[in-house]
Amino acid sequence: MKGGTEAGAVAQLPAGESREAWGELPDPHQETAQIVCISRGSLSRGRELAEAFGRKLGYPILSREDLIEAATREGIQVGKLETSMMKPRAFTERLARERDHYLAFSTAFLCDRLLEGPLVYHGRTGHLLLGGVSHVLRVRVVADEEHRIRSAMQTLGLNRTQARRYLSEVEEDRRNWVKAMYGVSWEDVSQYDVIVNVERMNAGNAASALVAMSRLPDFQVTPASRRALDDLHLTARARLALARDPRTGGYGLSVTAHGGAVYVTYLPHDMEVAEDIVRVLEEVGGVRQVRATVAATSILWVQEVFDPASETFKEIVEIARKWSAAVDLVRYSPCEGDGVETRVEELTSPPRGRVESGIEEDQEEPADDGGLRSTVDALALEGRSGGGRSVHGERSGLVTSCCGSARRSLVVLGDLFLGKDPGAKQRMTRELRESIASRMRVPVVTADELRSHYLFGGADILRLVGYLALVVAMFAAVMMNQVTVLRFLSGELFGTGALRMYVAAVAVFLFVPIIAHSYGSVAKALMKLMKME
Amino acid sequence: MEPTFLYGHFIEINLAVALQVIALGFVGGILSGFIGSGGAFFMTPGMMNLGVSGVIAVGSNITHKFGKAMVGSRKHAELGNVDKRLGAFLIFTSFIGIRLAVGINSMLFEGGGDGHGTGGSAAADLYISMVFVCILSVVAISMLADALRTRGDGDSAGPSKGIADFLARHHLPPYIHFKIADVRVSLWILMLVGLATGYLAGTIGVGGFIGVPAMIYVFGVPTAVAAGTELYLAVYMGGFGALNYALQGYVDIRLTMLLYLGSLMGIYVGVYGTKVVKEIMIRVVTGVVILLCVVSRAVAVPAYLRQLGWIDMDPTWDAWFNGASKIMLFVAGFSGCALILYHVLRSYRERLRVEHRLTEARSTA
Repeated sequence: MKGGTEAGAVAQLPAGESREAWGELPDPHQETAQIVCISRGSLSRGRELAEAFGRKLGYPILSREDLIEAATREGIQVGKLETSMMKPRAFTERLARERDHYLAFSTAFLCDRLLEGPLVYHGRTGHLLLGGVSHVLRVRVVADEEHRIRSAMQTLGLNRTQARRYLSEVEEDRRNWVKAMYGVSWEDVSQYDVIVNVERMNAGNAASALVAMSRLPDFQVTPASRRALDDLHLTARARLALARDPRTGGYGLSVTAHGGAVYVTYLPHDMEVAEDIVRVLEEVGGVRQVRATVAATSILWVQEVFDPASETFKEIVEIARKWSAAVDLVRYSPCEGDGVETRVEELTSPPRGRVESGIEEDQEEPADDGGLRSTVDALALEGRSGGGRSVHGERSGLVTSCCGSARRSLVVLGDLFLGKDPGAKQRMTRELRESIASRMRVPVVTADELRSHYLFGGADILRLVGYLALVVAMFAAVMMNQVTVLRFLSGELFGTGALRMYVAAVAVFLFVPIIAHSYGSVAKALMKLMKME
Repeated sequence: MEPTFLYGHFIEINLAVALQVIALGFVGGILSGFIGSGGAFFMTPGMMNLGVSGVIAVGSNITHKFGKAMVGSRKHAELGNVDKRLGAFLIFTSFIGIRLAVGINSMLFEGGGDGHGTGGSAAADLYISMVFVCILSVVAISMLADALRTRGDGDSAGPSKGIADFLARHHLPPYIHFKIADVRVSLWILMLVGLATGYLAGTIGVGGFIGVPAMIYVFGVPTAVAAGTELYLAVYMGGFGALNYALQGYVDIRLTMLLYLGSLMGIYVGVYGTKVVKEIMIRVVTGVVILLCVVSRAVAVPAYLRQLGWIDMDPTWDAWFNGASKIMLFVAGFSGCALILYHVLRSYRERLRVEHRLTEARSTA
């Protein structure tokens, strides 16, 4: 492995090493098993349903309690983490590291078990840990409040008021936990494929219905979902290795893996960790390449066709350098219409022909990826790559896939909706921009606006000169007539009575925003010129 | 050295004074960008050390805050970090707080000490200094304690949640739900926080030190929304405060303009600093700088007590106390800024070095 570990380091594992030599990843052709995640509320009979389902299909059952027990053995203080995450307080670096460790461990634990065979998991948020894997059947179990109150009274020996309060507090805590851990609402129905009300049917019948549903083609393993699971598994294991190792455990690192390549971004003030990242990940099975990028944040660039020789590429790299940001690419292929499903495909490493008996297998012609891979590679050379993926489907699907947990400072919308008329293209881009801005709460700009917004250009020179002249004129007017100004502010320049003070007060009220805006524009332009804004 | 008055209670501003005010603004701006709230804790006492009356220093500073918040809040609003409804509820009582603060400051300024034309009222200066010392001591000590706890104790997760837990145990209807901040808060608590924020903004110009933590820890508002809403609130509080102080003739627009010269540049440097300095160091530096500002203000207090005739002291010592206070303040501010600038420049240099190595790697590839 190469030792280059500065910002933007790219470390390639030895080419001669076989995949097996580096890790525990199973044969990619092995069939991956299905998983059913049952999200249950307190005393809502989710466990009963999970067990009934497991019995029907002979699937083993894994509960949240099993996961917590394993996490505790790992050394994660889950109870303390829960208490800290549920309450409104500052999100400290320490807490963030604990959260990362827990999420990495939980995801790796679930993926490990899933690779052993099919599985029924019942808990709170298993489906969120396996986000992006399509062969997960996500079930939410709900029960009538009256039933839950009665259960609480019977099992916990509480009176009615206490039981009601107990359930309300537990639900509130769980809502806060899910929000703090995953940034989504636990009760958002769009997170689930099916919601089962166990008041209306018994657990056995509900399980039968779920068995039928789980056999639908939509929930079967596909090559794409298998790849997504592999990437998720590798991401989790890489993250876990970094969290466990004392050399890297205390740092805020963002990790993603695509087809054996692991992309790690670290903050500018953590430069010293770069070499250790590569050393730690060398030991993780399945890692073929490590790309460590220094990044305080990331820029998301959405476009239909990428070109590393384009002007937009140069401008984005310039901004990324200035901000110490990684650039995350999304190639969007719009496809609107009823029943269109959004498909997300992470960029994977180029397919390699397997060498058997000295004869190389025929390689398939690489599919047209709209310049995605070459642009990611060009960004990696600049030390700014944050990875890439393709999204095919409706705009709403694109927006959802853009809203991850990564720290983003900017979204750039390049050339999109290429097959549409200019008017429709403009309208659709505007609508997409509004949707992304309202969901992600970051500035969203089109590629045309990059230069005027974030790079110093001709318009900035004009603005700088114009505002500077205005500021100089205002300072000269005030400083050369100090006594007059002070007499005016004291209400002694003209007139008598209360009115003169009102005039002075209103003048101050109107003048201050003008000077603040004018000088603020000068300061901004100067900082832009120095690449420090 | 006693200040020279150009007109009424307004000091004469020559080149040396102007440069010092710009420096105050620059340091205040860096600290403001670095901490994400305030900067007045440095600029207000700094101006008082230059001989500006406490009331004029506060009036000019709150006017400065008005324009600055107007520029900054627009950005936050674009990002959806402003809960205008929450801001609107806080504005009402904050105005009462500001009126109360302006009333007390004006009354003390006109009624106590040396009066107009001699550098301002000692009573008002003493009152402002005491509020400053009391409030900011609590803020600085909490910050430092929190930073040390975070470093020492593995399971620490930020400042105490005692207030939020205490309030959660008490039912105080009516409750109001705020959609953007996604919180439900008792109207009474809202009014109390608004009043306290307005009073402190009007008295010492640092309402944000109360408003932002209160929104995060008492209301449970996300940090980005708390900062954005506070800035939105600061526009109205600053505007209302500026109007009120200007109505009394206590705004020195020259000082406000000079502060802008430094602060609007400094903010960019401070914000850049947050990217390259570790969170723990941000908290320690902030806590230490605020604590030194508090000590610096406390050092100036004996002179005000002497002017009020409450202690018997040689009048020539006033200059020594004021001088010591001024030096301490500048040392605190400048050393804090030097540390930030050191990290900013180191990171800038590192960035250039990395880019150079990447260019080399590309050319050899």
